[in-house]
Amino acid sequence: MPHEEQRSEAAVFGRQLKLRRHRAGAVRTSSLRLAVAGETVPAQGQFALDRMQRWLQAVIVHPGEVEEAIASEEAARELAPAHLTDLIRPSHSLTAAERVEIYHGMYLLRMVEALEADYPALRHLLGEEAFAELVDDYVRTFPSRSYTLNRLGDHLPQFLLDGARPYAELLHELARLELAITEVFDADEAPVLTPEQVRAVAPECWPEARLRPIAAFRLLTFRYPVLRWLDAARRDQAAPAPVRKGSRVVVYRQRYSVLRLELSRPEHALLEALAAGSPLGEAVAMAAAGLRERRREDEIFKAFRSWVAEGMFSAIDL
Amino acid sequence: MPDNRWGLPDLGLGVGLRTSHFAHILGERPKIGFFEVLTENFLDTGGRPLFILDQIAEHYPVVMHGVSMSVGSTDPVDFAYLAKVKALAARTRALWISDHVCWTGVLGRNTHDLLPLPYTEESLRHTVAHIRAIQDFLERPLVLENPSTYLEFTPSSMPEWEFIARMAAEADCGLLFDVNNVFVSAFNHGYDPYAYIDAIPGDRVCQYHLAGHTHKGTHILDTHSDHVVDPVWQLYGHTLRHVGLRATLLEWDADIPPFEVVHQEVLKARTWRDAEAANAA
Repeated sequence: MPHEEQRSEAAVFGRQLKLRRHRAGAVRTSSLRLAVAGETVPAQGQFALDRMQRWLQAVIVHPGEVEEAIASEEAARELAPAHLTDLIRPSHSLTAAERVEIYHGMYLLRMVEALEADYPALRHLLGEEAFAELVDDYVRTFPSRSYTLNRLGDHLPQFLLDGARPYAELLHELARLELAITEVFDADEAPVLTPEQVRAVAPECWPEARLRPIAAFRLLTFRYPVLRWLDAARRDQAAPAPVRKGSRVVVYRQRYSVLRLELSRPEHALLEALAAGSPLGEAVAMAAAGLRERRREDEIFKAFRSWVAEGMFSAIDL
Repeated sequence: MPDNRWGLPDLGLGVGLRTSHFAHILGERPKIGFFEVLTENFLDTGGRPLFILDQIAEHYPVVMHGVSMSVGSTDPVDFAYLAKVKALAARTRALWISDHVCWTGVLGRNTHDLLPLPYTEESLRHTVAHIRAIQDFLERPLVLENPSTYLEFTPSSMPEWEFIARMAAEADCGLLFDVNNVFVSAFNHGYDPYAYIDAIPGDRVCQYHLAGHTHKGTHILDTHSDHVVDPVWQLYGHTLRHVGLRATLLEWDADIPPFEVVHQEVLKARTWRDAEAANAA
């Protein structure tokens, strides 16, 4: 029985938020004196626009406190920290650094919010603090270079695998599953194979028929039963014990709803072969290898018929 | 009072299209002037968002409001992005395309924030050149929103309202006048919001924005998370007198209440519009 993926508000429709996400508290009054760098800085009025923008961006994306960001090598290359007020005017109530901090504090929150929308189970498994630390690390390596936040998390599964976090492989697999859900959600809509098209295929033609999956289709194999972690997150339950047990999942879309289905090994073998372009007869033979004769037809064809009815395929090439 | 110079229609009162309101909008078909959609949410999806938007656009006038055009950035204009924007505008028959007087990143990066510009002659020349290139590509006037800002650049040589007015004239673009943003920035920077409004060229204003904000004591944040406060309504009334009636949109993006609450909030603008219409008559 397929399960529908319930997606968060932001993931469904609103990763690009116009408003700014802000820290709950007021701007913290700075108690740290900015270090004085030795370089010569331009006098007031001589800052070129590109230099101002490079400086502000360097400060905003720098991790840690705003004072550290202003004193960072990237920022200090554009403006010596001691000359901050040559570029940023204090207000009636905030120092120059405190004004910059409003923007600095919002950057990571925005990145966390965007990735939470795409990786809710990973966020649930790691907890708020560890997830924010992960995002902080991640966006230093893979900052957004696009007009859209939708693709910000594309490298996160591999980043997790390459990292040294405990249970890196499990986190990687859970992230792969969540990335597949996002991709299926956003994939182009395609016409689905109709019962009439299926009925129109002559019986003798089926062994050579090739079925094309819809664009919103992802087939995945895992070394962990990652759906358990996904379900635990959906139900806001404690994470299951991280015990290895291979699993296979198909994620697809039906009438704009994202669905996922756990597959047996032969079912996965059949879908994998079909998705790779193998003729149906060859794919069935491959999937049925190893199964007892009597189970072959029941299991394989029953699954195949249900997938066609589920709308996983868009066309038959004869 | 003159209309905007492009004859773009006064669509009445509208709200920003938000996910939590989809079922209500498609089920109840509320009587509302128009919907404003966040451009980037629809550029790279072929799924449910676009399916919903197509239905909305079939029944209501739609305007597009983006956050990534980055007209003030010293990075080159992203024409691949603009091609997608243009295609979406054609698909939805959007009456206009708006974005912000800001920059979002440089050196190929995007901070996804609406960052302030220094108000200098160099900034003005650069931004005007970008807007002109964008308009040439889109083959329509671009409508730009005055930002809410939390810092000022010491090298700025003119007030924001002068920058905005000169930018609009020199680039020949439209303005989306955000009344709440003027209130927010006026408090944060200590200037008179009425002086700002009086300096805005009315014939370039195509739309108004209204929203709630969060007062932090030392500064105000543009959070779009609450009702519009009375001083902002007063400013809206003053803007109507100075500029005239324009399509007016309420933004509510955090702690979003049911559609009816948002709708009722924007309908408060009707009182001000009626008063202005009576004055004009």
